[in-house]
Amino acid sequence: MDEKIISKQNLVNFCKDIVANGHNLLAPGKTEYNLIQDPSEIVLDTKSKPTKASYKTFVFPKAEPILYYKRGKNDVVMLDAKVDEKKTVIFGAKPCDTNSFNILNKIFNWDYKDDFYNERVKNFIVIGLMCEYSDRYCFCTSVGSSPVSEKGSDLFLVPIDENNYAVRIVTDKGKEFIGAYSKYFTEGAPEKSKAAEEKVKQPEVAFDSKQVHEWLGKNFEHPKWDGVGDLCLSCAQCAFVCPVCHCFDLVDEDYSYTEGRRMKNWDGCQFGHFTLHASGHNPRDIQGKRYRQRINHKFKYYVDKFDEILCTGCGRCSRGCAVSIDIKEIVANCTD
Amino acid sequence: MENIYKPYLAEITEIIDETPDTKTFKLRLKDAEVAKSFNFKAGQFAEYGVFGDGESTFCIASSPTRPDVIECSFKVYGKVTQALRRLNEGDTIGFRGPYGNWFPLEEQKGKNVLFIAGGIGLAPVRCVIDNVLDWRKDYKDITIVYGARSVSDLVYKYKLKEWQEMSDVKTVITVDPGGETDGWTGEVGFVPTVVEKLAPKAENTIAVICGPPVMIKFTIPVLKKLGFKDEDIFTTLENRMKCGLGKCGRCNIGNVYVCKDGPVFNYAQMKELPEEF
Repeated sequence: MDEKIISKQNLVNFCKDIVANGHNLLAPGKTEYNLIQDPSEIVLDTKSKPTKASYKTFVFPKAEPILYYKRGKNDVVMLDAKVDEKKTVIFGAKPCDTNSFNILNKIFNWDYKDDFYNERVKNFIVIGLMCEYSDRYCFCTSVGSSPVSEKGSDLFLVPIDENNYAVRIVTDKGKEFIGAYSKYFTEGAPEKSKAAEEKVKQPEVAFDSKQVHEWLGKNFEHPKWDGVGDLCLSCAQCAFVCPVCHCFDLVDEDYSYTEGRRMKNWDGCQFGHFTLHASGHNPRDIQGKRYRQRINHKFKYYVDKFDEILCTGCGRCSRGCAVSIDIKEIVANCTD
Repeated sequence: MENIYKPYLAEITEIIDETPDTKTFKLRLKDAEVAKSFNFKAGQFAEYGVFGDGESTFCIASSPTRPDVIECSFKVYGKVTQALRRLNEGDTIGFRGPYGNWFPLEEQKGKNVLFIAGGIGLAPVRCVIDNVLDWRKDYKDITIVYGARSVSDLVYKYKLKEWQEMSDVKTVITVDPGGETDGWTGEVGFVPTVVEKLAPKAENTIAVICGPPVMIKFTIPVLKKLGFKDEDIFTTLENRMKCGLGKCGRCNIGNVYVCKDGPVFNYAQMKELPEEF
């Protein structure tokens, strides 16, 4: 893998050029990923806490129109919804975020292809950043990732000293992209980035995902599901902050007597109405069943179906939970 | 870019009032090219949409062997079905499909077929019945058992009459006790009881069963007692769906997405699933 070096000052210049070239530039702020106008605002900090929300909404928006309609007397006219074709550069994303692409690509592309998602991903350049943050909620190392994982990144940054970053060229897309900005990059020194990487304190492995998978297969009925279900408020914040939760609803939104749009909006399996039939029958009628679905979907069903764990170990769901439900703790206890 | 969520437009060419709360729509796809190339298999479903109210999931009730018209039947329950009820002949709806898998009719040629349906559950079964009847010589004995709560809740009365008049089809129609009217000549009794009394032979027979969960729950043990193999009992699952494309997550149970891996399952496959249907 090719590697380059960029100085901190040139990193700012690189970002300024990206904006000047008309691309969207996306970087983590204090609470969420923001579209950056002035690159000098970017704080590239490997020790920062993960933002409260991932950048999921930029590839799979919270609410997006999928078509527009106009009703006539007996007729209907449909108009296409367009996806912004601007290139978007995500700058300084943590590995627990960049890993989401490999996972989401599966669901949005098995058999039927969701081009609303694909078109956005196609126009994304992902610049990942090594992570040195770790708290009691982090568990990327338990789901097959790590703070230095390049999975999902096109380019990956590793700080090698106070003034310089190593830039690993992970994909051809990344290589092609920096081609236009080559004046900011110098030849790399892989031994330095390797040394920096080795110094990173990795979160302790909290569980063996294979054992969890096996345990879930045998314990669909277990008292723990009702136990945690009784705690849960069914608010679904866990799904909304998650980089890989992808359940959605399709709803029509009229904005006049004759016109409206069909929306694809985020939804969550923790809501009682999610599986509620019009007849009143609900296959997952109590919260315990819904929480069981959340854990099984992430650590068993998705693995069986797509060979990926539906979790990046970012810990956001636990950090944000109003009643302190800690997914790492729950999953670590899915063992005999 | 391709938009997998974009429906076709369809015109309602005829509306049939089946019961006070159940209607059948006959549909014609408006785009002649699409209509010409449209095909599906018995058991597949579609998303039917009223622009402004959203989409709802029903099976395609007509048979693929009669491709000139697409039919769907629905009971008025929720927001979308209420909106559908308000529409008239000549109005336009959205249609997305066909989606999901189908009944393996080709593979079952040479067998007897037992159809068991309850209430609006006759809609997905009717599609298979008509398909099998159009391929009549490929199958042996055909038996239809259909039940509803009361005489007025029986759907497709015109179809029932047609099937009853066929000399090579055995059709038994029943209503729940108390649901009969004066002059009712059919059976009185719940579907599982009627099936037990009828005692169809299990050998070389497949059963296609669809209806309310409670009917299926009590009929399957009867079929098992009669000697039906798990692999020879087929049903369609009716989990709530939105996208129909295996994306939105709503119909996920265990390792399957009902909209993609189903809706048709045999009883052996159903036994592998968590009981979340």
